[in-house]
Amino acid sequence: MRFELFIASRYLRAKRRQAVVGVITAISIVGVAAGVASLIVALAITNGMRRDLQQRLLGSTAHISLMRVAGDGIEHWQALTDRLRHLPHVTAAAPALYGQVLISRGARSGGALVKGILPQQERTVSTLLNSVKEGSAAALAPSPSSGAPSPNAATPPLVIGSDLAQQIGASIGDTVLVTSPQGELTPFGLVPKYQRFQVTGIFHSGFYDYDSSYALARLTDVQHLFGEPNLVSVISFKVDDLYHADRIGREIERAAGKGFMTTNWMEQNRELFRALRLEQVVTFIVIGLIVCVAALNILIALTMMVMEKTRDIAVLMSYGVRPAQVRRIFLWQGMLISILGTTIGLALGYGLSWAGGHYRFIHLSAQVYSLDYLPFAPRWQDGVIVALVSLGVSLLATLYPSSSAAKILPAEALRYE
Amino acid sequence: MPSESSSVVEQSFPIEGATEAAPFAPATGFDDSVMLRAEDLRKEYRSGSQPLVLFDGLNLTVHRGEMVAIVGESGSGKSTLLHLMAALDRPTAGDVYCASTWLGKLTATQAAAFRNREIGYVWQLHYLLPEFTALENAAMPLLARDEPRSTAFAKARELLREVGLEARTHHLAGELSGGEQQRVSLARALVTQPRLLLADEPTGNLDNHTAEAVFGLLERLHTMHRLTSILVTHNMEIAAHCGRTLRLHEGRLHEVRLQAGRSEDTSRQMATASSEAPGHPIVRTAFPGGNTAGTA
Ligand SMILES: Nc1ncnc2c1ncn2[C@@H]1O[C@H](COP(=O)(O)OP(=O)(O)OP(=O)(O)O)[C@@H](O)[C@H]1O
Ligand SMILES: [Mg+2]
Repeated sequence: MRFELFIASRYLRAKRRQAVVGVITAISIVGVAAGVASLIVALAITNGMRRDLQQRLLGSTAHISLMRVAGDGIEHWQALTDRLRHLPHVTAAAPALYGQVLISRGARSGGALVKGILPQQERTVSTLLNSVKEGSAAALAPSPSSGAPSPNAATPPLVIGSDLAQQIGASIGDTVLVTSPQGELTPFGLVPKYQRFQVTGIFHSGFYDYDSSYALARLTDVQHLFGEPNLVSVISFKVDDLYHADRIGREIERAAGKGFMTTNWMEQNRELFRALRLEQVVTFIVIGLIVCVAALNILIALTMMVMEKTRDIAVLMSYGVRPAQVRRIFLWQGMLISILGTTIGLALGYGLSWAGGHYRFIHLSAQVYSLDYLPFAPRWQDGVIVALVSLGVSLLATLYPSSSAAKILPAEALRYE
Repeated sequence: MPSESSSVVEQSFPIEGATEAAPFAPATGFDDSVMLRAEDLRKEYRSGSQPLVLFDGLNLTVHRGEMVAIVGESGSGKSTLLHLMAALDRPTAGDVYCASTWLGKLTATQAAAFRNREIGYVWQLHYLLPEFTALENAAMPLLARDEPRSTAFAKARELLREVGLEARTHHLAGELSGGEQQRVSLARALVTQPRLLLADEPTGNLDNHTAEAVFGLLERLHTMHRLTSILVTHNMEIAAHCGRTLRLHEGRLHEVRLQAGRSEDTSRQMATASSEAPGHPIVRTAFPGGNTAGTA
């Protein structure tokens, strides 16, 4: 082995009789390095995107939501929430009442999901309230204890998403009309129930779903709006082990009793994460082709080198270098090219990823991506896989030239010199 | 290899480094003083419709310690014969025994190990590897068998000293003169302490003066290392210095007696096959019926 490596490394460094072999060797090294570096960077980006998305998603969504199978609302929710909050792995719990409404301001209106919350508890399961960019969410605190400028009882406070606000043309201080489709039966027939709210805050979470259709209000106001004075529709939970949300969810179901069901963040976003993973695989394959092209260069470089060195190989064989040793010389030759290229590529890839994450020099349109810079999250596992793939593909590329070198017949090769 | 290995009474020995035990010649009739024996050798090349037969029924016996010169016209097959003796090529028919090894049964790997242990080969061209220094080139056969670098280089340095190149050890092959290159290739051939030295026109590419010097060196090394040497040459003066001169002509080896640059065929054929000498040139001639009545 030492002998083969000795010859191979000297061949790699030595001046060439044919300059073109040296050029192709250099191209192969650069090719492998470029392929490996782009793979590392691309994977760091897709990984960063996914991590960022997941972080923000998990910030604004509950890990686990508990609701009635029949959709009839949860009674005695205070006691239930307090009890479930103390289950193992559960770190926080918050009740909420959801309902579909129409929010209008003058002639402009938009459909929305209004969520009645207890802000203090809600903050423990969701960061949505922290993303209020205009006004504030302070007014959502239950009225008696609130020292905030209390809007009068007739127009309770409402915090709405930025896209929704834009759609209906509402800004801080404006009064909007919230209409519930669950109307009241009056002598004049079914009359929709409505209530004026005052917009006290506008949030921007970066998720279009939330920003375009969510409105937050005090729990009591929403209960009043829907005529359900003592019900909530869901209890949301945060847990300490994200990736076991399903198992913890089942425990919560069991503890809650009959007629309850849970969903978790993974179920709710399964399609999204599946799409992201697919994207990563596709990225890997597409950019992996660069490595294959580089490996093709290795094949060409080695084949030409074997042709150039035919006589020298025959001489080596004439004093007892075995065919298997000749094969290994060229195998090493290819692997040295690959190892060199892969090392440079890894250094370059991780360097660029680090710089990209640190200096944020690639800016994105926040409207489109809900992020104003490209996130880089390089992972060492990706480096290991990329390096293995690169070395493996290169090894394949060395098989043909090295075995053709081993097949050289010394008597033939040395005949007409 | 220790120096006593070239002693005449040495027993047969196995080839180290071969993956399987090397096949041996049949014990019967094996003469311990014989270094090399070729029996009923036939070599033909198939190119085109007619096979080109270089030799047929060729026999040769070389004893330990001999220095044999082989002369012959260009194209008579001298190089091919040397290749066969070094297991670099295979005969179409017939057997070659080198010391106790029957070359016909060696696999490619065993043949490589055999060459590494037993054969020192020198060509008309030096065939040094241009990327390596004189010392590395000389040490290469030892490095190839994974001998530790320090001992390999020590032995190579010793050989380079013997050929008078100790001052040039760290020069690249291309930085040496023709004679120096050929001396390095001699050092390379002998660094493994082989028992058989095969030289194919080793001075053919050198001017007269250098050729003489290189041949003188070769003679000295032959004695010093107690080699058995077979030397192909066109130079009759060099041939005259050898213990025995054979002429390869029309597929047979004839013993030649050389006197003061004038050669005289003894008409005694080395090979005792079909004594009626074929009158046609051997090259591009198909032998009828192949091997004819070869009695050694
Ligand atoms: N692989 C081959 N295929 C066909 N013919 C071959 C092959 N190898 C050698 N020959 C022929 O065999 C003949 C002998 O070649 P060889 O090299 O042994 O001659 P030589 O005696 O060494 O000649 P020279 O003195 O010129 O070196 C030549 O005519 C050559 O063309
Ligand atoms: Mg020749």
